[in-house]
Amino acid sequence: MKYITILLFIVMACIFVAGTGGAADTIKIGLLAPLTGAAAADGLSVHNSVKLAVERVNAEGGLLGKKVELVTYDDRADAKDAVALARKLIEQDKVVAVVAGSYSTPSRAVAPIFQEEKIPAVAAYAVHPDITKAGNYNFRNGFLGMVEGKAAAYVAVKILKAKKIALLVSDNDFGRTLAEGFKYYMEKYAKGVATIVSQQAYPMQEKDFKAYLSKIKQDVPDLIFSSGYYFQTGPVVKQAREMGITAHILGEEGADSPKFLEIAGPSAEGFVIVTNLNRDDKRPAVKKFLNTYEKQYKIQPDMVGASAYDAFMIICDAIKRAKSVKGPDIRNAIATIKNFNGLTGEIKRFTPEGEVVKDVQVQIVKQGRFRNLGVVSDPELITP
Amino acid sequence: MRLFIEQLLNGIAMGSIYALVTLGLALVYGIMRILHVAHAAVFTIGAYAGLFLFQLTGSLIVAFLGSMACCALLGVMIERFVYFPLMKYPPYVPLIGSIAVMLSIEEVCRLVAGPYILTFPAKLPFPDVYLGGIQISSTLIAVYSITAAVLLVLWYITTHTELGLAMRATSQDISISGAMGINSHVIITLTFVMGSAIAAIAGMLVGIYYNQVYPTMGTVPAYKTLALIVVGGLGSVPGAVIASMLLGTAETLLIGYANIPLPRDALAFIAMIGVLMWRSEGLLGSSR
Repeated sequence: MKYITILLFIVMACIFVAGTGGAADTIKIGLLAPLTGAAAADGLSVHNSVKLAVERVNAEGGLLGKKVELVTYDDRADAKDAVALARKLIEQDKVVAVVAGSYSTPSRAVAPIFQEEKIPAVAAYAVHPDITKAGNYNFRNGFLGMVEGKAAAYVAVKILKAKKIALLVSDNDFGRTLAEGFKYYMEKYAKGVATIVSQQAYPMQEKDFKAYLSKIKQDVPDLIFSSGYYFQTGPVVKQAREMGITAHILGEEGADSPKFLEIAGPSAEGFVIVTNLNRDDKRPAVKKFLNTYEKQYKIQPDMVGASAYDAFMIICDAIKRAKSVKGPDIRNAIATIKNFNGLTGEIKRFTPEGEVVKDVQVQIVKQGRFRNLGVVSDPELITP
Repeated sequence: MRLFIEQLLNGIAMGSIYALVTLGLALVYGIMRILHVAHAAVFTIGAYAGLFLFQLTGSLIVAFLGSMACCALLGVMIERFVYFPLMKYPPYVPLIGSIAVMLSIEEVCRLVAGPYILTFPAKLPFPDVYLGGIQISSTLIAVYSITAAVLLVLWYITTHTELGLAMRATSQDISISGAMGINSHVIITLTFVMGSAIAAIAGMLVGIYYNQVYPTMGTVPAYKTLALIVVGGLGSVPGAVIASMLLGTAETLLIGYANIPLPRDALAFIAMIGVLMWRSEGLLGSSR
């Protein structure tokens, strides 16, 4: 008798689980983010921020009369994992659109899959050009590596007035494309004004940058462009200051993380980045997000989170305007977005290639926090 | 010239860190002929235990001593519960056991402390030193001093004490030294205590030096130290130290002068292949 009761209980549990899983009274949107591994702090920020976005959309009545449901998977910033999970999102979870909230390497691996299945995907902050080249179902809310690299060079030459610049670049998709943009600007706009005195690339796993920095110290540059992730640029800044290097250090969105501030410690003061989240943004929606985030999660918000939040809201806005959850309808609505009020600035439009057009923000570290230093809004630089 | 000296100093610091991690492995191999891959996990635990104790007490001394005790215990437990029961099988069986232990400890760290990089914001009390216009930063001085102290203590124990004599005898022939009245199991246990305590120092030092503690921080040391003990001569402690120093210096100079974005880890394995081809007993190994 006891066994029959247990059996009955299991059957009921199964029915219950199947029932909730199969219900079509929600709109499912997928999210891929690196929740574990070296990039875990970025993944956490993405997940935290998109959860806030889901709460906001559902509190405002959901989409087309239904609640939005987020399906999150951990791709560990790994291309192989991401491909399997993208298939799972499409085939098992039947999501209507996806926020690609991970790094370039996994994001460019999954872009063709979304294209093939006609599932609109918005890459939150990955910079590699191949992601949007996969086809017209792929959009990018972050900056193209080229755009950000050019903006960084503009900041170096025009705002920080550097004459001799040393490049220290992470040897992967991310670091390389940024460096290309930087060099493109130097070649085209800064001839005779400023020169690149040295270029070095370091492998992904590097922890000890002293060998590179000793060499840079020899050249006495007045600015170092350090292109990499927070777990790379953090040690670069810390070790450079320990070695007595006083040059400006300029980074990019890869260093836009509270973990960067933690790793670099007091050495972070005066460090400048180009990114897309302005901490001193006056718009109420941004202020509210920054405050809520810090209150709820006890850490500072950053650009990867804000970009993923925007990517999610872009999809929701498109669903609302399209009044449909069909892939092609959502895609067309995203493609025609105009002056969308996002956390990461006003999204002017998407280019036909799916690239975002918006201002590049310049932030400087003051008293352990990122603060506004300026903005790059020259259309020649920010249009991909 | 100045650049060369600076790079040399960087390289020696790198080599010192390698040496601290490799020492335990060389000691264990010398005595038990086991490739103690899990040593890298002991190193990770050392960093976490040190960080935890530092946050709890705010004292670096307590953190160092506590972390050393914690790792010594872990090392002995690995020996008792994993290697000892597996000793009767061919050498690859304890090796597989060791890899399993390493992965398990890594996962435990991830589950307990989370997958994030934790920071170790301690300041080691060493001064910046200026020598003829060259600045040697306090972190470098800290690495040199701590490594030198560890090596000195280890040298004293192995050459000037009865324990050291017993250890050397055991490493030469475990059954004959047993017949001479040496309790080999006690010696093995003490070897694990020493090796693991040094790993704790290495773990904390690396954590503070790079201001990063994370679950997979032992992965690269796990395979690099294997290459290093092969290059140094399996089981030879001085060989392991020399190999570490040479590798650290070579890697740094290669980066400083050649600027090839070659993963610096590749160099260790190129050296290992070279040694295996031309001098299979290693730099200081005996061709027994």
